[in-house]
Amino acid sequence: MLLYFNAFYFPFWIIAIIVMLEAKYSSLSTLYQIILVAIFVVMTIIEGIRVYLGYLGNLMEKVPELAGFWLLTLLLQLPLTLFLLLNEATMITPFERAMHIVLTCFVVLEVIIGYFAIRAMVNYQVTKFHLQQFTDMERIQNLQFQNDIYENRYTQ
Amino acid sequence: MAVSGLVPARFLCMIAHLVLTIVILLSRDSNVKACLPLNYSPNEYDSKDTELIVGLSVALGLLVFELVGFMGGISMFMSSQAMISTTLHASAAVSLAYFIFDAWPCGHYWYIFGFCSAFPAVTEIFVMIGSFAFNKGI
Repeated sequence: MLLYFNAFYFPFWIIAIIVMLEAKYSSLSTLYQIILVAIFVVMTIIEGIRVYLGYLGNLMEKVPELAGFWLLTLLLQLPLTLFLLLNEATMITPFERAMHIVLTCFVVLEVIIGYFAIRAMVNYQVTKFHLQQFTDMERIQNLQFQNDIYENRYTQ
Repeated sequence: MAVSGLVPARFLCMIAHLVLTIVILLSRDSNVKACLPLNYSPNEYDSKDTELIVGLSVALGLLVFELVGFMGGISMFMSSQAMISTTLHASAAVSLAYFIFDAWPCGHYWYIFGFCSAFPAVTEIFVMIGSFAFNKGI
């Protein structure tokens, strides 16, 4: 559910960031101009991949995609969003502050809830694998029994 | 029942209202100056400022309350509450945008608050009571 709403929120966040960056570009120091443009490009790409992976992993119940989404969220998006929200030298406008607060809430909640979701899914798949092994063992035992019957018939 | 487009629309309108309320909270200087006479004393400024802060904070609290009710699933699929909420929050977002850009005097904010913050919260409370106490589903 968080991913669903995050996917809807993402385009508006991009538009807001572009407009704010364009408005304050000329009054930033050179270092922060470069940093902000780089962060913006990186965050757009990563956010797109992350939400797509999370959505796919969640619906198809595939653990690798979901694990990838969780790692991207924890290791990349969390520091980047906290940087955008808390670093005063980038001249944060109030509009940007509000948009970043919403995005930070999304990212933090996804990290927490994603951990529990992956754990539940992994436990379910481990249980399924163990049960599958029992049905496989029964099939092997049946084959062994049939081989013994045939051996007895030919060696008589 | 086509609720497929209504749920994200309601979410986006509520988030737009939330973002604009936070923006006004952080930059309310020109609006407070617009409702004071030309030569004002710091006491008058502070009293009007406090009024506006109180109004904005209460609106923020009611909005968060409604967001919790929506995301918690209590009123996510009730189309009547969703319609009321979407239209009122969308009109609040537009009026708040005018409020910021045209520097409306701070007295006008109470109209926006009454119609577009208090009213959806009250209907949300009714919906919550209905679904908990009377087991009224979708």
